[in-house]
Amino acid sequence: MKKVGSYLFLGFFTILFAFPFYFMLVSMTNPTVEIMQGKLTPSTHLLENWRNLRATYDIGRVFMNSARISVLQTLFSITIASLAGYGFEVYQSRAKNVIFHVLLLSMMLPFAATMIPLFRMFGSFSTTIPFIGLDTVASVILPTLSTAFLIFFFRQNTKMFSRSLIEAGRIDGLSEIGIFIRIYMPTMKTTYAAAAIITFINSWNSYLWPLITLQTQEKQTFPLLISAIGAANNPDYGLLMVAIMVATLPTMIVFFSLQKYFVAGMLGSVK
Amino acid sequence: MKKVSLFLVIFVLGVLAGCGSESSTSGSDAKETSEGQEITIWAWDPKFNIAAFDLAESYYQEDHPDFSINVTEISQQDSVQKMNTIFSSGGTQGLPNIVLIEDFRIRNFLEVFPEYFVPLTDYINVEDFMDYKIEVSSVDGEQYGMPFDSGVAGVYLRKSIIEESGLAITDFHDISWQTFNTLGMQVKEATGKPLFSIDMNDLAHLRMMMHSSGYWYTTEDGETPFIDGNPSLKQGFEDLKMMLDSGVITTHNGWDQLLAGFNSGDVAGVLQGNWITPSVKSEDSHSGDWVVVPVPKQENIDTSVHATNLGGSSIYVLDIDGKEEALHYISEVFGKNIAFYEELVQTVGAIGSYIPAAEGEAYKATDPFFDNQPIYQDFVTWATEIPSVNFGKNTYALEDIMNPVFLDYVNGADLAEGLKNAQAIAENQLN
Amino acid sequence: MRNRLLLKKGALTGWCFIAIPTLLIFFFSFYPMVQAFMMSLQSGTGIGLSFSGLANYRRLFSDQTFLAATKNTLTFLCFQVPIMVILAMFFSVLLNNRALKLKGVFRTIIFLPAVTSLVAYSMVFKSLFANNGVINGILLRLSLVSEPIAFFSSPFWAKVIIVLAITWRWTGYNMIFFLSALQNVDPSIYEAARIDGASPLKQFFNITIPMLKPVILFSAVTSTIGTLQLFDEPMNLTQGGPGNATFTISQYIYNLSFRYTPDFGYASAVSYAIVVMVIFFSFIQFKVGGDDT
Repeated sequence: MKKVGSYLFLGFFTILFAFPFYFMLVSMTNPTVEIMQGKLTPSTHLLENWRNLRATYDIGRVFMNSARISVLQTLFSITIASLAGYGFEVYQSRAKNVIFHVLLLSMMLPFAATMIPLFRMFGSFSTTIPFIGLDTVASVILPTLSTAFLIFFFRQNTKMFSRSLIEAGRIDGLSEIGIFIRIYMPTMKTTYAAAAIITFINSWNSYLWPLITLQTQEKQTFPLLISAIGAANNPDYGLLMVAIMVATLPTMIVFFSLQKYFVAGMLGSVK
Repeated sequence: MKKVSLFLVIFVLGVLAGCGSESSTSGSDAKETSEGQEITIWAWDPKFNIAAFDLAESYYQEDHPDFSINVTEISQQDSVQKMNTIFSSGGTQGLPNIVLIEDFRIRNFLEVFPEYFVPLTDYINVEDFMDYKIEVSSVDGEQYGMPFDSGVAGVYLRKSIIEESGLAITDFHDISWQTFNTLGMQVKEATGKPLFSIDMNDLAHLRMMMHSSGYWYTTEDGETPFIDGNPSLKQGFEDLKMMLDSGVITTHNGWDQLLAGFNSGDVAGVLQGNWITPSVKSEDSHSGDWVVVPVPKQENIDTSVHATNLGGSSIYVLDIDGKEEALHYISEVFGKNIAFYEELVQTVGAIGSYIPAAEGEAYKATDPFFDNQPIYQDFVTWATEIPSVNFGKNTYALEDIMNPVFLDYVNGADLAEGLKNAQAIAENQLN
Repeated sequence: MRNRLLLKKGALTGWCFIAIPTLLIFFFSFYPMVQAFMMSLQSGTGIGLSFSGLANYRRLFSDQTFLAATKNTLTFLCFQVPIMVILAMFFSVLLNNRALKLKGVFRTIIFLPAVTSLVAYSMVFKSLFANNGVINGILLRLSLVSEPIAFFSSPFWAKVIIVLAITWRWTGYNMIFFLSALQNVDPSIYEAARIDGASPLKQFFNITIPMLKPVILFSAVTSTIGTLQLFDEPMNLTQGGPGNATFTISQYIYNLSFRYTPDFGYASAVSYAIVVMVIFFSFIQFKVGGDDT
């Protein structure tokens, strides 16, 4: 009985949650006029919409731009944040706790407020250290390379990491960083997976800072492209929906491939 | 420790790798050729604005074959964000040579960051252009903007629906909003359809009404809030509420819903700037059934005319490398080329603000979609009557203050009090 | 005793672990934040900023628009955070049940909203809740109302829609945090409790929740920060309307910076007003959450 209840509950919410996504899928196959009327059944315009999109925009290049930024951002960010989260939790000290709480402050100011100072900063890099100046991949990644959000996340999860594993590691003669790499990282796979998903999605969908720092059309990322397409007086909604779908696919794929790490059961334990 | 420094090395390498794969270097986009430069332009809408720039490029290339433009498609909102950020940081890196800016916004920039804009005074003959477009971008006698599309507005109506209600299109010519409301009620009664829809989050229609009477949210100086005691504003509020209450107009939420309304036939018409024409034409089954009539005027306001404007933008040249080339491109094509404007209206449907071109054959063409009405000529005729208004630099701020007042009024609050409050808030907030 | 050993061994190493991340944040976050604070002490338009001390902050208290925005933002906060955290936790526990089939499917679908594009889902929500939209259609069909509800023109319903939209979008996202944490809970603890005769509900309250406390705190704090900085949904779904009903502080900052004549000094001051609120709420949550740091 309880099982049926669970399935019903989940089923109901699933339909609710999936509905807008369904709308996107269906809209991809409809012509613009029907999309505006909120048509919910598919039609046969998918190929036409896709061809229009390919003909008007260089989707491949936009894709590569977004991919390059997001992959680099994800890899570096979670590595850095996990090191810090581990450090703050395992090697606790009053001084470090103070620093930790100070770092949290950095999450609290809306990004828009720091945009101009950041822009000025990177503007000055453009003349002194060009490869991290404005309009570079590095400039997009650096401001959020290390975030209190991820550090906070890793720290909280590290609280659930058994200290006895560290002891065991030391007894086995591993160095501190060795313990981190050989014991902590494999044990915390689910945490890394979650962090990777979140970071990738945030980076992939990030809009405001790339808008400001990227300057040439060649470097455009997906959110900027979609914003431009939607801004026309008479937008081609069919084309827009296909573009959105193409933009959404990678995040779905990343999620699919990483979610298997949320498998029930213990991963690594003290024997 | 060793591993930490290893990470450091990987980090730096990664950054280098990330940057090394760039195909272009950062810095100015303008590429020098032996004769001219490539000019960068920021504009939105590939079928309208960008198409115009491309068309202009081909005209300019007849005499300047080495010239080329590089248009970045970017929404107005995004380009305003970028410009504000760059201007406020005091630098010029990342700015385009030419930028398209909506007329409502331009004074923000001209009054706060004038040093970034190149005056076009010597490159444009202001008498050739519609008055109200010229005034928008002139400061202290210097002309900064090259007027582009005229946002002259008209009431678009579905002929069959009007006639089904026992009315004739001519009934809608040269009337006041009061009469419009009466006619609209007849249409609503016969067919159940409203005449047009408005977005409650946006006072575009109020702006149109005020503009048709030569009024605005501010007095002529563009600075002093003129809310309490503004007869045109009050009349506009009252007329809109009257039409909402009688069902003659309805509401929509968002651009796509506006388009869906009249394209599906649920709404019998639309009142917007003429740039809505391509959207109206996108529904093939309506061909031949649309007409455009002049906007009604405000009763009780002497200065009110049957002409108004909504939106529209002008072209600006920024003070960076390549400005001479950009100036020539703009002034020779947009400034004087009649053939260009004729082709523009024929292929893109954009009605320019260049008066000499409007006398040409292209503008006299009849449009079968609009029951063979010469809509371009009609629009141009109306455009010449539009009063000049100083939008000032606080239009959007004032509108955001007025929006809740309008809503409260529609929901039954006292108008006089609402206006008094708004005047106080406006004076308080705007320096 | 053990703790001290750990500390002695890792004292320097600990600092090495946190050094680079901390420095990066100081450089790329704090330095601009300080500059933003300096800007908040200046007023004027564009580049013509001049020092004005706390004038901007004083202005906040008499600024009706700011006060309206703050009221809205706090209202959203009160409803949004509990709903989202509880729902996310609930889903994660349901989906952590080993015996449940189709877990992967459910998980993916609940997470889908987080990856759906803002443009797409705002179009959908607007059309769903339109006067002649699907929701009104259902309500009329079931005779729950006699006239369509004008969701977007009603200050109350507009707020409800925003809460629904945010919940829809971010529950899956938060669910991930809980799911990943649940994986680290030893099932044998549950086994032992079951053998002792504890019902699933008791297990939930006495085992799951205490074990998840760190993540609950994380989710609550980050949701709070996210809601206080709410921008996307009101901007795209309701444009802050009707009137000012769903206008948030972040929207005001955006308007001050980009829509009106740029007054970055005042915009920065408004931003710091958010910081104050965030610190206040986070402090409370940390204390309540019994964080042992």
